[in-house]
Amino acid sequence: MSALLEVRGLEVGIEGLPILRGVDMEVKPGEILGVVGETGAGKSMTARSVLDLLPAKATVSFASCTFAGQDFIPPKARQEARGHRIGFVPQRPRGSLNPVFRVGNQLSGTLRRLRNMGRREAKDEALGLLRSVRITDPERVYRSFPHELSGGMCQRVCIAIALAGEPELIIADEPTTGLDVTIQAEILRLLGEVISERNAAGMLITHDLGVVADVCDRVAVMYAGRVVNLGTTAEIYREALHPYANRLVSIATSLDSGGTPREVPGRVPNPGDHLAACAFAPRCFRAGPGCFDEEPPRIDRTGQIAFCHHPVNAGEVMR
Amino acid sequence: MTGAVDTLAIRDLTKVFRIRTRGFHHADLKAVDDVTLSIAPGRTLAVVGESGSGKTTLARLILRLLEPTEGTVLLEDTDITAMKGAELEDVRGRMQIVFQDPYDSLSPWQTVGRTVAEPLLLHEDLTMKQASGRVADMLERVGLSPEHARRYPHELSGGQAQRVGIARAMITRPALVVLDEPTSSLDMSVQSQILLLLQSLQEEMDISYLFISHDLSVVRYIAHDLAVMYLGKVVESGPAAEIFASPRHPYTEALLRAAPRPDPAHKTDHVFLVGEQPSALDRAPGCPLYGRCPIAEDVCADTPQELVDIGGRHRVACWKRT
Repeated sequence: MSALLEVRGLEVGIEGLPILRGVDMEVKPGEILGVVGETGAGKSMTARSVLDLLPAKATVSFASCTFAGQDFIPPKARQEARGHRIGFVPQRPRGSLNPVFRVGNQLSGTLRRLRNMGRREAKDEALGLLRSVRITDPERVYRSFPHELSGGMCQRVCIAIALAGEPELIIADEPTTGLDVTIQAEILRLLGEVISERNAAGMLITHDLGVVADVCDRVAVMYAGRVVNLGTTAEIYREALHPYANRLVSIATSLDSGGTPREVPGRVPNPGDHLAACAFAPRCFRAGPGCFDEEPPRIDRTGQIAFCHHPVNAGEVMR
Repeated sequence: MTGAVDTLAIRDLTKVFRIRTRGFHHADLKAVDDVTLSIAPGRTLAVVGESGSGKTTLARLILRLLEPTEGTVLLEDTDITAMKGAELEDVRGRMQIVFQDPYDSLSPWQTVGRTVAEPLLLHEDLTMKQASGRVADMLERVGLSPEHARRYPHELSGGQAQRVGIARAMITRPALVVLDEPTSSLDMSVQSQILLLLQSLQEEMDISYLFISHDLSVVRYIAHDLAVMYLGKVVESGPAAEIFASPRHPYTEALLRAAPRPDPAHKTDHVFLVGEQPSALDRAPGCPLYGRCPIAEDVCADTPQELVDIGGRHRVACWKRT
């Protein structure tokens, strides 16, 4: 099955500092890809590159980038897809809505711009979209200002706006950070449902491995501007090949079961820090001399791809 | 530990905020409503709840950063509720806090050494010079080097800054440390480092922790005891392991079911509670969960629910589950 979105060799620099150092990633039709990693790993930057929403001073280059077969390297192609073919759900829903306009106007305005609708038609469609994100009283929400709505309700409105252009791909950047757990669960379910109802695909950026396990079909684990491990959620959680991904899963599962987590020493590198050939090598429990000087090879095994000199062996107990 | 005095015991603690609603109209918001809890020496009590549940207000009342409307706070059997002036200053050295945001809670103009020494200057009347040895020891104890004393907060990573916050809290060897979401702004790999550090400091110094969090997986690891708050009320409390294994209150059950778990085979359950948490101003006179609760009956609306011990210190405020 050919990928809906395929990104190869994505490099982004800001003022000479490398932020993304060759990101390879693809989203297949109908799936939700989770993108996980810690601060500065490049999760949001990857999404923003695809949407051409990077800061003006950023430099971007792709080895290749296609969306549904179309060449996505020219910035114009990415700009035209934004909103129409790719919807975006932001991290801070209330901050992303305009505080001085009623949410209904923001939603119908989006519809009029994206789908050339008339005023009346746009309002009807907007109410329909609010209903489709399971808002039980769309008329009231339509007339509300963002500050009159709860965080969870604002995020539903943002999802409705992301759906306005009838996108084939929905990118959600930490869509539930700052929401309470019970609301988070509802928003995640809603995202999964609207994506599958529309036969669209999703890219979910998060740092929460629980969220990934809940909704994602495949996971890309990023570290210091690269995807270091990619695979089906089941495989990555069962036994991730890359020691970094493996340790993250192990920390999350041991905390979840009340056990003592293994420690990962050190900290995440900052942009501009000197990096070893494998950026994780200084913190890695499996690192050998080669890890610091030689580019890690691509390992393709058990439905996973990892970039590592010393991948975790099958059956090896790391927990 | 028979006969041991609880590090902290709070009784019937209530805080009412008077809120201006419209023009000259006011309303009373019960942020903390009749809370009774205790922590034994060397133990960790986690307080969990969603935003607006009153967990941070509770912490501030305990630390006497807010004045309670009613109730008492006993620190090592001493009533600190009415203390003032120098007496209160002395007690403050026995209870400390670690904040959620490690950078915001450190003064950007002070060196790390000065920040960590400050409690000693205040509570033990030491000079900077006298304090420096203990500061160096403490920095090493939290996994930094004495050389960090000369640095400024902006030179530190998030994890290092949080270690400084922990060093500052622990340097007076307090009996009680309030940890207000101490790991929620840290990266996953760093989060586990800080949790391990907190645990080893507790074992070494026999400190009691009041651990405030909304992250149930962190709580599952670090807490001995658990109190679940909803709209200012403790709805369930008791040994953490027992509550995680068999939650009794419908709200606790909903929280546990909604929390995503790092296991692809486990899917969270979403439709347990109805709607969203209302404002504490609109609370029903009876059970705070009335209106969202899937098992509520009409009587729940106006019958206040008291915590009932169902055995083994496990207390639940729900007549249908006791």
